[in-house]
Amino acid sequence: MDSAPVSDAGKATGNGAASVRGDEAYVRITSIRKEFDGFVAVDDVSLDIRRGEIFALLGASGCGKSTLLRILAGLETPTRGIVELDGQLMNGLAPYDRPTNMMFQSYALFPHMTVEQNVAFGLKQEGLPRAEVARRVEEMLALVQMSKLARRKPHQLSGGQQQRVALARSLAKGPKLLLLDEPMGALDKKLRSQMQLELVNIIERLGVTCIMVTHDQEEAMTMAHRIAIMDVGKIRQLGTPDEIYEQPNSRFTAQFIGSVNLIEGKIGEDEKDHITILTPWLDSPIYVGHGVTGFEGMDVAFALRPEKIRIQRDEPQQACNKTRGVIEEIAYFGSHSVYHVRLPSQHKLLVNATNTRRWASENFTWKDEVWLYWGELSGVVLTA
Amino acid sequence: MKRRRWLPSPRWALIVPPYAWMLLFFAVPFAIVLKISFAKTTLAMPPFTSLLDWSGQAPQIQIHLENYLRLFSDGLYAMAYLSSLKVAVVSTFLCLLIGYPMAYAIARMDPAARNVALMLVVLPSWTSFLIRIYAWIGILKNNGLLNNLLIGLGIIDEPLQILYSTTAVYIGIVYAYLPFMVLPLYANLVKLDLRLLEAASDLGAKPWKAFFQITLPLSRAGIIAGSMLVMIPVVGEFVIPEMLGSPDTLMIGRVLWQEFFNNRDWPAASAVAIVMLALLLIPIVIFHRAQAKALEAKLT
Repeated sequence: MDSAPVSDAGKATGNGAASVRGDEAYVRITSIRKEFDGFVAVDDVSLDIRRGEIFALLGASGCGKSTLLRILAGLETPTRGIVELDGQLMNGLAPYDRPTNMMFQSYALFPHMTVEQNVAFGLKQEGLPRAEVARRVEEMLALVQMSKLARRKPHQLSGGQQQRVALARSLAKGPKLLLLDEPMGALDKKLRSQMQLELVNIIERLGVTCIMVTHDQEEAMTMAHRIAIMDVGKIRQLGTPDEIYEQPNSRFTAQFIGSVNLIEGKIGEDEKDHITILTPWLDSPIYVGHGVTGFEGMDVAFALRPEKIRIQRDEPQQACNKTRGVIEEIAYFGSHSVYHVRLPSQHKLLVNATNTRRWASENFTWKDEVWLYWGELSGVVLTA
Repeated sequence: MKRRRWLPSPRWALIVPPYAWMLLFFAVPFAIVLKISFAKTTLAMPPFTSLLDWSGQAPQIQIHLENYLRLFSDGLYAMAYLSSLKVAVVSTFLCLLIGYPMAYAIARMDPAARNVALMLVVLPSWTSFLIRIYAWIGILKNNGLLNNLLIGLGIIDEPLQILYSTTAVYIGIVYAYLPFMVLPLYANLVKLDLRLLEAASDLGAKPWKAFFQITLPLSRAGIIAGSMLVMIPVVGEFVIPEMLGSPDTLMIGRVLWQEFFNNRDWPAASAVAIVMLALLLIPIVIFHRAQAKALEAKLT
């Protein structure tokens, strides 16, 4: 990953999308735009999603991800653009005519119907024979382990149970495309991480293609095969969770996913196999072990994740990519600690240290003088 | 802090007024009417015998059941009750038929327009009830607005005889009681979670199917409340059949009036009222049960 040259940020997204174009595209979204009274919610988004993929639209609230999902469900009509599913044009089809089903945020279960009736609702609309409906409902409830509570009403269920019913209801008709709107939004944290894996297992077992919307990056990273990061109606970056984390294409995505140290500077030496970055943050230039498409004197940011930085008391052996600092704050998370280290330049770096031994956190304390260092391929040079 | 036991707790201030109200304006008058219904008419003031007879050695309680027996033996009363119930049921159904789409449309308007529409529903009530019913005479009579319009348009040659008929009674009742149907239905429909309709649509239900499977069952409490608010007062309605109906429009409210004012038979009138109340009590109990159930469902 690190050895790959960092290309122009905009191009990286374009190439990623282009490589999927072709037979592989199961859901094809072309230049979708949605305006509400002059406000642009979705701004010319194009996306291709593969068959069987779990795809996450990740972004802060108001970034347009929910609108895009509702366009796919047919609940909103796009101002322009095309949605195709399995080679079939979806534009103009009402929600009740689309082979998509949605699990709504906070579920929208029918309060006057039992669990069974909720799951059966979609099947009954198709006019299937009663025995067939009963068989499918039973199968779905078994899948989400809710068979025992089939006669309950939604208000008699816990949040997690309601979610299972909502999932069973949206899967009952065997949709070509499953849409999940903030699937874990109404659950508490512990239940959330358990349900994330269970949901993925169920979806993968059925092999259904799935697009989810979430504002929770951990959720997107755990559940999705690929993630699109959205901001003000546009897709900022598209890729697998590790691509997005390790190879952010802009300052925005680097900061959006996880935490990051963004060291601002200018390109010093610009060679084919390495560059250096001159920065007021550090006494010596940063040495980066690969070339970039840029020029000498170009403004760049060096994105360095806190866990890629090592911390120790003695001066490290390597000649560059090291700095002295003083520990200012410590956040102890149990599994790891985050140190806020003030550099001589008065800038601050975040450093993660995994507490591999018991009481390892006692190694450093406030006001300790420490050395920080990192490898020549540890960071990402950002031009956007 | 120690509780001050010598002062009544402030919650009494909240509990007492409604009970006092019920006692003073419902229980006591009801007891008086009940008492009169067990008496006999006499030519006196008040025109009924006393419940306690002091003429003998010891006071005797005299309960006369003749009034009630007459209600059941004389077919006229049974007819009047039945026809009142029929008018009430039919006009409630008509109110529901007209009121539901109105309430639905208002609930789907944007909030600013909603208030205007609700205002328009309530506005006629600012005029006296009597005047509004009287105005219908002007509309419905042979040379009234409606007939003149229809003749003017060439739709009919001779005026329709609507006034002083059962049709006129229905028109008057539906007109007068429509707001009582629309308001509770509106209050219910405006709370409907629209995402449920989106979910129904997403699951393959066409709009009209979603209406019958989601909206209608979920608005049940509103339908019951509106129907009760219309049906209960309509059963005892007197003014509308008196002003718009024909002399043969038989309704229990008119019978009651006749017994009381024309025949000066207070005991019979009281018995009619008591039986009417008993008849109305059944739907009221059903209504309360439904409300309690809905409340329970919401709380658990």
